[in-house]
Amino acid sequence: MKNDTIYLAGVYTRTIMKSWFQYKVDAVLRSLAVFLREATGIIVIYFTLLKFESLNGWDIHELLFLFSLLFLTYGILIIFFTGLRDFGRTVRNGGFDRFILRPRGLLFQLIFSNADWFAAIGHGSLGIVLFVISAGNAGITWSPGTIIYYTAALIGGVMIQGAIFLLLASLNIYLLETNSLKELFYWNMRKFAGYPVSIFHKAIQFCMIYIVPFAFVNYFPAQYLLRKEDMAYPSIYMYLTPVVGVVMYLAAYGFWRYSIRYYNSSGN
Amino acid sequence: MSFIEVNEVSKAFRVSKRSAGIPGMLANLVVPKYEKKQAVDNISFSIEQGEMVGFIGPNGAGKSTTIKMLSGILYPDTGSVRVNGYIPYRQRKEYVGSIGVVFGQKSQLQWDLPVIDSFELLKAIYRVPDEIYQTNLKRFIEMLDMSGFINQPVRQLSLGQRMRADIVAALLHSPRIVFFDEPTIGVDVVGKETIRNFICELNARDKVTMLFTTHDMQDIEKTCKRLIIIDKGAKVYDGFISGIREAYGTTRQVDVEFVEDCTVKPIEHVEIKELDAPGGRKKRFLFESREMQIDSLMSSLLADYAIRDLTVSEPEIEGLIRKIYNGEVAR
Repeated sequence: MKNDTIYLAGVYTRTIMKSWFQYKVDAVLRSLAVFLREATGIIVIYFTLLKFESLNGWDIHELLFLFSLLFLTYGILIIFFTGLRDFGRTVRNGGFDRFILRPRGLLFQLIFSNADWFAAIGHGSLGIVLFVISAGNAGITWSPGTIIYYTAALIGGVMIQGAIFLLLASLNIYLLETNSLKELFYWNMRKFAGYPVSIFHKAIQFCMIYIVPFAFVNYFPAQYLLRKEDMAYPSIYMYLTPVVGVVMYLAAYGFWRYSIRYYNSSGN
Repeated sequence: MSFIEVNEVSKAFRVSKRSAGIPGMLANLVVPKYEKKQAVDNISFSIEQGEMVGFIGPNGAGKSTTIKMLSGILYPDTGSVRVNGYIPYRQRKEYVGSIGVVFGQKSQLQWDLPVIDSFELLKAIYRVPDEIYQTNLKRFIEMLDMSGFINQPVRQLSLGQRMRADIVAALLHSPRIVFFDEPTIGVDVVGKETIRNFICELNARDKVTMLFTTHDMQDIEKTCKRLIIIDKGAKVYDGFISGIREAYGTTRQVDVEFVEDCTVKPIEHVEIKELDAPGGRKKRFLFESREMQIDSLMSSLLADYAIRDLTVSEPEIEGLIRKIYNGEVAR
């Protein structure tokens, strides 16, 4: 990116921060609300799982580690991809027309002109809490190698989910509204992703690995660090997260570039 | 080659067509039916640099669609658009830096932040150099009398204030061409006047080329010399505003107040309307200027009746436009 582009990204970020935190009490409460909403789900699962020794060989801390990857990647994702999450609304209220009228890249504007900091803080801090609780207890040995691997896996996980958002936003150009698709393919599949993929029916496993590859967001990276015995997949999968992320993102970007030519404003 | 060239441009939208009720909805789900709606139908016009042109038409006539094609948001289906040497929808990034667009109905300001923050953001987006930004800002704030609310959050502004801020937002990067899409909508009389004066001055001093859509004919009469009227996607008039009267304003109206109550016997080609009670003193005479000369009407009236007062009026532009929209006058 050119200097000037980075500068603009900075100005955007400053503007969003100012807007979001215009109402300070509300800002704190909303972040807290997101945190609690997500944490409640985890607490329920936590107490349910305490009744079991393990799930396919995964103990409670190892399961929490799986969750921590989901929340951390989402926390990072939403800083950059809020604009794509809300793309349908932006198109319908004419906001996208305004982006077209400005001499900057469309995807760049979508990515940097909006960021849901409440979701980022809520999900991110829950991810950090879960990571702190689980990472030590799950018996991961941290070395420069594993730290680099973990960072690459995080970035790959963010890109995989970013690619899904970008794909849905592209479809939005033809369909005008894709919330139900997002519900179906993103949020529902994400619910499976909280657990080791090996516990599910083969069809679901197939979906989680090859269709909406959440398994690469948390299961395979966790396998690399934890080496559980249910790893019935090619061991190369443990290294593929960044590759899957980059490939998926590039493919989604290609589709976006292709689709954007068919954009037909929203009427008045 | 003109500054803005629009050549035989057409644009159609596909709208889903649905029968009423739940059965209709279900039928549509199984076999979606679409209808082609021709928003713009073979329009051509050209505008020279520095011209200020009013662009009007009834709701749904295709004004916004045309503006969207001119500004690069939409591709035309057929025909070509060229502005300042650019093809707007092909050379978007190079082109849009030289234009400004004001959508009266859609603000581009940051709702929760002071006006000045939106301006600073736009400065960064358009890469406006510091000196130019400061000069423009200072000048516009003064011209539009905005110093009182520049530091207020946009959500606290009145509609008139917000509109002025939105106009400045579209001009900070010194665009060569500005498209105004209903820039006075919902603004009070004083506010409208301020905005019109500002627009006139911008055109006169900076030679900014402007295309101006509105539903308020006074906006046009006070700012533009030239007028383009479109209806149902097609151009129906393109010329001077004064030319409208010559082309369509052939009806004359004479209001006469007689000295005493009377009934006027019918005159050929003239419609007589009672303004008072039937047989009263005030009457209106309407006629087509090609069918009846005003002096022959007057002499026939004066021969038989005593007249106290009379006014001859030309049709108002607004009334003419209404007639054009309604299809009452031949095109």
